[in-house]
Amino acid sequence: MPGVTSSSSDSALSIVPHSSDSQSPRVYPLRHHGLTPPLARVSISWARGNTLRVSLIQSEAVSKQQTGGEVVEVKLTNMEGGEVTDGQWRRIAYGSVTPFALLQSRKNSMDSSHRSKDWWEHVMEYSREINSLLANSKSSGNVVIEDPKALLKKEEEPTSLKAAWELMEIFYADKQSETCIPERLLDWLADYDCLFSGTQPTVHAKLVDFQKQLVTLQVIENDPKYWEAMSSALAVGWLDIVVKLLHLHGSYQFDQLGNRETENGLVEAVAVLISQMPRMRPDLPSGKLGECYQTKPEFMKAWEKWRSQITKLDCSSFWLQCDHHQTREGLKNMLQIMLGNTSILSHVTYHWIELYISHFLYIRPFTVGLENMCNLAQKCMHLKPISNHHKLMGLIIGILEENIEVVLAECSRSFDPWMITHAIELLTAGSTQAEILLLEEQSKLGGISIEELQRLVYAQVLSSYAMTWNIAPIYLTSCMKQGMGLLENLLYRQPVQNHQVLLKSIEICRLNELGIVSSNMMKIYGVHKWKHGQKGSAVFWLQQAQDEVRLNRIAKQLFDFVGKSVSDESFKQWEGLIELLGTESSTAGSLKFLNIYRDFKRSLLQVHGETTTDAAGKAVESLVSLMKNPSTPQRFWLPVLYDSLKLLNWQERPLLNVAQTHLLLNKLQELSIAKLKPDFINADSPPEALNSVRLALATNLGRAILEE
Amino acid sequence: MALSTFPPPNPIQIHRLPQFTYIDALRWLPQVSAFSRHILLATYDSDTSTPSIQILTFTPAQNAKSTPSLTHQISLSTPSRITSLKIAPSPLNPSKPLIAASTFSGSLLFYSADLIDGSLNLEFSVPEKGFHWGAVSGIDLSDNGSECVSVENGRVNLVSLGEKWNARTVFDSNGLVSYSTVRWASPVEFVTGGLGFGMHWWDQRKPGGPVVLFKGNWSRGTTSGIVHSVDIHRSRKHTCLAGGSSGTVFAWDIRWQQQPIILSGAWAGGGPANSLSESEVWEVQYDSYRHSSNTGNVSSSKILPAMICTEDGILAVVEQGEEPVELLAEPCAINSFDIDKENPSDVICSLEWESIAILMRPQDRRQ
Repeated sequence: MPGVTSSSSDSALSIVPHSSDSQSPRVYPLRHHGLTPPLARVSISWARGNTLRVSLIQSEAVSKQQTGGEVVEVKLTNMEGGEVTDGQWRRIAYGSVTPFALLQSRKNSMDSSHRSKDWWEHVMEYSREINSLLANSKSSGNVVIEDPKALLKKEEEPTSLKAAWELMEIFYADKQSETCIPERLLDWLADYDCLFSGTQPTVHAKLVDFQKQLVTLQVIENDPKYWEAMSSALAVGWLDIVVKLLHLHGSYQFDQLGNRETENGLVEAVAVLISQMPRMRPDLPSGKLGECYQTKPEFMKAWEKWRSQITKLDCSSFWLQCDHHQTREGLKNMLQIMLGNTSILSHVTYHWIELYISHFLYIRPFTVGLENMCNLAQKCMHLKPISNHHKLMGLIIGILEENIEVVLAECSRSFDPWMITHAIELLTAGSTQAEILLLEEQSKLGGISIEELQRLVYAQVLSSYAMTWNIAPIYLTSCMKQGMGLLENLLYRQPVQNHQVLLKSIEICRLNELGIVSSNMMKIYGVHKWKHGQKGSAVFWLQQAQDEVRLNRIAKQLFDFVGKSVSDESFKQWEGLIELLGTESSTAGSLKFLNIYRDFKRSLLQVHGETTTDAAGKAVESLVSLMKNPSTPQRFWLPVLYDSLKLLNWQERPLLNVAQTHLLLNKLQELSIAKLKPDFINADSPPEALNSVRLALATNLGRAILEE
Repeated sequence: MALSTFPPPNPIQIHRLPQFTYIDALRWLPQVSAFSRHILLATYDSDTSTPSIQILTFTPAQNAKSTPSLTHQISLSTPSRITSLKIAPSPLNPSKPLIAASTFSGSLLFYSADLIDGSLNLEFSVPEKGFHWGAVSGIDLSDNGSECVSVENGRVNLVSLGEKWNARTVFDSNGLVSYSTVRWASPVEFVTGGLGFGMHWWDQRKPGGPVVLFKGNWSRGTTSGIVHSVDIHRSRKHTCLAGGSSGTVFAWDIRWQQQPIILSGAWAGGGPANSLSESEVWEVQYDSYRHSSNTGNVSSSKILPAMICTEDGILAVVEQGEEPVELLAEPCAINSFDIDKENPSDVICSLEWESIAILMRPQDRRQ
């Protein structure tokens, strides 16, 4: 709950959210124009998305001279602020729709019992696609000439979002590389160690510092930082960087090669050993060093051989011939790292994850199984206690401890609902235990599962933004229990005045077979249009919704609007609407009258001269159907009959037969009776109209009887 | 995939470029030189709630691996979101086209661009008060840029451009008829499309209302639809190409008034196999790509091929009596597209998920 504080100075109105976290509160200054305290009232409500609408109402005394108040919007941001911009966030949200939907449809099409076997391959495909979205790539296709002294290549800005996703992918989704999790963690740290730099010293930060000094250093091997940087990089397994640095050693320079031959030989020997380090992994990305082994026996053999080579070098007599003190000590130190000297490893790494990686590399390369990994992690945390809690560390600990609740909690605390909704797919693929926990319907959650709850929350976030509401249905429809109900809710909440939104909603209804919702929305829209004087639009949408009740209701008002206008030139206005009504009486309801009336008018205009033509016949036909039609408003009866006098008094022969004339006479009679009623609306017809029509009908009747 | 299948000699190159802002409309601008091409965008930034009109420079990909790039040249904020965007080349100076834009609030904006300087100037605007009441649903500039017709719910308006602009209402139906789109057929005639698949033909020489009304007898079920977009080929002004609801694409020849020629859609008969899409067709344009060299050989009774984009994410070319060719199938709606008039092989489209797709069809195709 946010509260408003108003300090003494008038420009310092601001909002301070109270939060249970002990972190310092964040202040959101309110940008208002020329409000002077005191304020009479302040009210706060949610606006779109994560913005608050703050209404500031001035006290009466002030408002007499000025505006009564002001409404300002305050955008709340999370504490992290800016790792992912809103635009980026939307790009991720849009991009994850397709992989998510594809995975759901695969899940539904597969029998749950058959799923287990190669299900992870689908999950992995999903995970890779999501992961590629999280890349913040701004890399251009241009190949820049590589700087030989550049140690750390910066291809993209790493984000903790991507780091967290990759962690979960390593542990839960990727069953293929289960045996080489340590190697994957090593790669992970190489990519994301910099994320920890903000809160604590890291190897990455050390290398960045050293990189800056590198340009100015004359005799690089004399600087202790050179050796420190290499030892640290070696400890966490960034072998390519170490070898690159070793090659910068002064003994490689042509003018010195002669008198530093032994020294150079030692440097080169270490470099070769480093680049030949056996790695328990299927392959290495280009530029990375080491020799890959896929099976454990092969790897063990190579590992033992490599270790013996290091020991041999360590005991070599060439060290005595090396005059350069720093080089000798530095290289020896590096050999100790490779031989797994615990105290040195602990000395050259900065936080427990770095130490953890170095243990995997040089002390316990055969660690498998989460339990063993977890024990080792605890040992490393004991050696390097966590001084500053980082969200990624919390996540790693949760994963290693196999505690799904902790993983969920860390995810929802550190990242927005997007993360947890999509990561659940990885978690459920990870273990049956997790699957049970996440998919079990829980009474404390109102009978839905954690998975569904998270999707609903995410859909809620999506639907609060004008740009993303239309992807929320994908997530809602994947929720078995409450999804459809909330989808209907979402559709009804869309602003009715926007034509595009209506069409979008109708499309969503079509895809999800929500015919009733769709027709209700058309009705709402139709009535809205009617109220705003857009009669054609209203009629169209009510027709689409097949809402005869409302069509009949508006028909009455529409006929009032027609008035006499049908007879004059402005009838052109009506043409379009009447065309719209079409010929199908079922949808037009009582508006059908307009159609017949138009036909009647049209054929009447075409009746010329005194000889019987098709037009006259048609006109009579329309006249009769107008009079038969129950929806023809009463006040049109007399004008219509009066208009058709020339048909009734047709010289050549009577155009109406006996039955037709009777019908018209009955109508006339009805009209005369209705005239006596108080609610009769007097049509604007000449006073003699009734009598002349009556006379004409009587004459016609007589002639018709004779003819028959 | 079998290894023996040869890759198509010249596949269509497709590039999707995220924009981080919603694209309301987009057009190719006339090409000034062989190296620089420009795109006009009407965008809406939902973070800051600012609509704007922008000119971007398009640099095609240098080689097969790299992607083409779009760089912002100039951006002007507009008073309201843009509903429709049209361009008329300046007859004297191709680098200075005239741009007309209509807005949700009902105003019309006229810009002149200078593609060499990279400038964009608002020449004048017709304010909403009394002219248009609500959102302008469609506009069109005449070929020489001398007149601009605009439509909304119930009104058809005309702005004459020249030394001094002059705006007038051609027809006011008092809300009885809604128009959704408009297109010039000749310097004095234009066609409007609207609800119920209704189309009206107007002739300025015969004022007072539409000259010809068309409403096909859509005999299928009880529902109807809306025409969202109309195109008329300059060589065949009597044939109006229209696209609208339920994947419907049809042509209306005003000489055969009540019989539409259906190119695609649920109404086409023969069931869903014949229809490319069941959702809204947002835009139609004649596709001069394939027939650019031999338009004369095509029987004049045959409808020229047309490109369409749909709500369910399809960009395709439909042709009378032939299977439609799908160029793009996106997971989100394709809201609009534009075929470059000078290079009909190149198409840009705006995707609902805040990005632009650029399609470059092979240029050396001869049939």
